[in-house]
Amino acid sequence: MEVTLQVGCAAEANASLAEALGWELSAKLRPLLDSLAPLFDGLEVTRTSYGAEFCEHLLPTPEALQAVRAACLRPFTFLTPYVGDAGLAKLRALLPELRPGDEVIFSDWGVLNVLHREFPHLVPVQGRLLNKSLRDPRVMGLYAEAGPGPTLTVLQGSNLDNRAYTAMLQRFGVQRAEIDGLPQGNDLAAASMELTACLPYGFISTARVCQAAGLGYRKAEKFQPAAPCKQECQTFLLEHAYTNSPFENRDQRFWLKGNSYFYLHTPAMVKALVRSARDGALKRLHLQTRLPMLANGVAA
Amino acid sequence: MKILAPIRELDELEMLHAAGAEELFCGFVPQDWLERYQGAVWLNRRSTKGSSLETLGDMRALTDAAHAKGLPVFVTFNAPYYTAEQTELVMDLAQRLSEECGVDAFIVSDVNLMLRLSEARLHAGTHVSSVAATLNLEAIRFLLNFGPSRVILPRSVTLAEIACIKQGVGDECEIEVFMLNDGCAFEEGFCATTHHHSVGAFCTSLSGMQTDFEWHGRHFSVRRRAWLRKNLEDYREWVWYLNGNGCGSTAKGLPYGPCGLCAVPDLQKIGVDSLKIVGREASPLKKLASVKMVADIVHRARHGVPKPVVIERAISLRQAPEHCHSGYMCYYKVDA
Repeated sequence: MEVTLQVGCAAEANASLAEALGWELSAKLRPLLDSLAPLFDGLEVTRTSYGAEFCEHLLPTPEALQAVRAACLRPFTFLTPYVGDAGLAKLRALLPELRPGDEVIFSDWGVLNVLHREFPHLVPVQGRLLNKSLRDPRVMGLYAEAGPGPTLTVLQGSNLDNRAYTAMLQRFGVQRAEIDGLPQGNDLAAASMELTACLPYGFISTARVCQAAGLGYRKAEKFQPAAPCKQECQTFLLEHAYTNSPFENRDQRFWLKGNSYFYLHTPAMVKALVRSARDGALKRLHLQTRLPMLANGVAA
Repeated sequence: MKILAPIRELDELEMLHAAGAEELFCGFVPQDWLERYQGAVWLNRRSTKGSSLETLGDMRALTDAAHAKGLPVFVTFNAPYYTAEQTELVMDLAQRLSEECGVDAFIVSDVNLMLRLSEARLHAGTHVSSVAATLNLEAIRFLLNFGPSRVILPRSVTLAEIACIKQGVGDECEIEVFMLNDGCAFEEGFCATTHHHSVGAFCTSLSGMQTDFEWHGRHFSVRRRAWLRKNLEDYREWVWYLNGNGCGSTAKGLPYGPCGLCAVPDLQKIGVDSLKIVGREASPLKKLASVKMVADIVHRARHGVPKPVVIERAISLRQAPEHCHSGYMCYYKVDA
């Protein structure tokens, strides 16, 4: 079984999973992660990932990427976010730092277009942002509890169920896609592509307007799309408790880091994904032992 | 630069046309879809009940009447994705709406559906929905592989980015941008939540949740905590504006909510092809008021009224300058 580990700097490039499970310093998240840790027993890291899936302002500098790539002794995956044209220019300047055969997770059709045209020696992988499925943790679990039927079939599936779509991706050199564990469960058999599951955090939503970046602006200037920031996201975590739920899940928690909201996979979800990886339904697990909004070794 | 208005039924056509609508878009959800998915899985980005037409007969009547007035009609198939089973249902609908009802284009988010429609070679064209999250020129170039005649830019694309995109691909496809009504706190194409009535939109639901900050620096002082709290309050206020000022309206019944009226002169200069008014589920009164406001401003811009005068007029039309001056009700940041 293949296991990718996301790192945040050159010093972490070849870390073991045991080391990585100690990286989370958040008093809120650490105990939750500790409770999931036994479920990862026996997993060996075979690949390193580095980069940013959710924010173009968290892309590393060429020097930081170069340092991680040089230090990394394992196969390498570079994570890239959705981007405006300015972000795409910044990203394009990073891609020459990668080596032939390195994977690039793309979260934006523009990035795939550039990879296909200008960097055919890199291996594009569809990121989870482009794996379309509803992940709303407030309510999706309830559909699973309601039992099988056309609705649950749709909710457990995704755009990857369509063979015409995956054939098109393959024409652009894409053989693999990343997914989240879904609160309603994943129908992995329906997907016609090699799959990697990200865990233990699933994304709920993300935005070009960043709440954290608002800290650096006067009130009337706040919340502009793609506004420059000082990586204020690295200074705090905002936890939401679903206290206004119309259902019984008022103890549910969601976390905002910068411009993106995340949920934590339950033990049952982690178990199911690890089991699927051992069975071969998933080809790979992508472990992110900190919320995937890292500063990437660049000082804020 | 056309004015694109939402429509829910034939009865709204006359007034929208008279008010200045030059293009129309609507949803279509047949009864068998509602029966199969029981309201939980939406065919388009609006709730399955009350915001879409439901029969081919109604659709044909609408397109015939709209065409008689010279207005094209576009239909939304803009769910973020369709599974393999759903795709066959949607393709069958698309075939009938195009060939039997004369629909002019489908508004599509799912790249698989774009691909299938491009292979089907229907009379109806394809418009790339904002839900496809085309945030840059290269993304549009990629999607041009599937033959769309128009791309609708997400709300988060700035004026400078719109200009860059229009310059880059304006000869290959039309560009449509948002002009009035609903906002989206998140990037719509990357929001994996539901707006189902049982839980409401995630962004507005967040404002009612209990929150707790964790500081990752050295000392979480009282002052820092207050700073974070104030920013969260500001953010919640911004979301309130996105949500149509709490779904409110002026004393005269004019709709509040996100607005790009002040940007019309800039958008005209850029060469944007269409201005979208959101809200096919809205009341006829709100639709009418929205089209009238946009038409008033577009008319002035077309006749060369200076930009500062257009902006002044736009603010006066909204009848709530305090909201305009908040900075939170604007789709676009405009240099006066």
